[in-house]
Amino acid sequence: MSTEPALMSLAAVAKAIAAKEFSAHEVTRSCLHRIAQWQPKLNAFMSVEAESALKAADEADAALAKGQNRGPLHGVPLAHKDMYYDAGHVVTCGSLIRRDFVASSTSTALQRLKDAGSIRLGSLGMAEFAYGPTGHNYHYGAVHNPWKSGYVTGGSSSGSGSAVGARLTFAALGSDTGGSVRMPAHFCGVTGLKTTYGRVSRAGAMPLSQSLDTVGPLARTVEDCALLLGLMAGADPEDPTASTLPVPDYIAASSASIKGLKIGVPASFYVDDLDPDVAKALEDTITVLKREGADVVKVELPDQHQLSAACQLVLAVEAAAFHKRWLIERPQDYGPQVLMRLQNGLAIPGVLYLEAMRWRGPALAAHIAATSDVDAVLAPVAPVAAPTIAESDVGNAPDAEAVIQRLTRFTRPINYLGLPSLSIPSGFNAKGLPIGMQLVGRSFDEATLIAIGAAFQRATDFHDKVPPAA
Amino acid sequence: MTRPTAKEVKAIADTGGVPVDNEVAARIAGSIGPAFEGFEAISGTLPFDLEPASFLLAQAVKVAR
Repeated sequence: MSTEPALMSLAAVAKAIAAKEFSAHEVTRSCLHRIAQWQPKLNAFMSVEAESALKAADEADAALAKGQNRGPLHGVPLAHKDMYYDAGHVVTCGSLIRRDFVASSTSTALQRLKDAGSIRLGSLGMAEFAYGPTGHNYHYGAVHNPWKSGYVTGGSSSGSGSAVGARLTFAALGSDTGGSVRMPAHFCGVTGLKTTYGRVSRAGAMPLSQSLDTVGPLARTVEDCALLLGLMAGADPEDPTASTLPVPDYIAASSASIKGLKIGVPASFYVDDLDPDVAKALEDTITVLKREGADVVKVELPDQHQLSAACQLVLAVEAAAFHKRWLIERPQDYGPQVLMRLQNGLAIPGVLYLEAMRWRGPALAAHIAATSDVDAVLAPVAPVAAPTIAESDVGNAPDAEAVIQRLTRFTRPINYLGLPSLSIPSGFNAKGLPIGMQLVGRSFDEATLIAIGAAFQRATDFHDKVPPAA
Repeated sequence: MTRPTAKEVKAIADTGGVPVDNEVAARIAGSIGPAFEGFEAISGTLPFDLEPASFLLAQAVKVAR
């Protein structure tokens, strides 16, 4: 066992606390020690709440000494993207507009993790209002990639990717509307799960696009994501879009064999114009999955450009509608790029938006038909590894939207279809920056993705790599 | 549906109650134009009875390989 608890996986540290191999206090101290080392370099945290975290850890230790174990995350310190409402705490949403907003209720996803015994370590940086795929933030500064300072983390869950990658928190909630869990997972070398639309309640999570928003974890391993999903998923009276479907045993899925499973690799779009290092990581991933017993075949998908365009239309309109009051009253308080992207939604006619919504059903049906012969689809998360913060700082330049769309072209179609997608660390490029692959599944079939991802992680060690010390 | 011009963007934003100047209208037209073009083949072709809720039905389809 590692002598530094912060370096353990979520599942391992939770077991170690429960078995009293480490106290919650020791574990929290270990995280705080690493945060003190890394935060000046990364800017991953919005707030570090050392005193209250240690107090909560002591209370968890005292409870455990009396035989009171609150749940599977008893005494585990966690920090999350600063958009999950937590009663009594400031939730900035990465914005100036909500710099002093104090939540009056707690989001369902966060409450379920608290009910399982986790304790609050602080809050994590993010793109302003979760509307940016790189990790830049005009108000609070860019979050840095733990593998190479000066490189982006991906966004919008930038702090989540960076902090999990640097082992400052065992896991973190992110949100994925157009790629915001998978992009930082890919760029920061961590595991990220974009859940099926409706699998996890969105109640108390800052909205960006009500038809596309999903709640999902970033963690060090697939097993950790399985643990968190099992705790968060399920019906919620506070969110009528949360599915009432039963919640499978995702932990059991993480140890299932993948022998006989069939995985499709797209014949086009997701394999076009890849950076050579990403192309090699894809080939290597295929080799490993075949070795583990999966059958890997080519699959022809419907036109992904149309899905991507539809996603952009829906996202732009819904985001502009949420923000309309502030667009009128406080436009000067937005960062230039976020303002520009919100203004885009003003130009889309209602009929076009509704056409994009009406087409979702047939588009998903077409995807299901095209992939009916496979259990999951394997594709890169992005065509490149992390660019530098400087080269991707496009602000509100005329070509900014085009740059953003190119970066997220492999993630947006999946959001439009509402499908689950698991991003797993799959290699490194020549500069030592991580590369991730995504496994895209059927609606509400996260379990199959977890089985495949966990099998891949049993056969590889990309997820175990830790960035060199700050 | 073809991409909107800056003039059209300005008109729709003004009508929506969030006026934008000519420069912003031009930038919006340039930014959102590719999405209009990408969706052009679908727009105006959907069957009469198709509702957005068909997505939930498609989500609920049980698929077995």
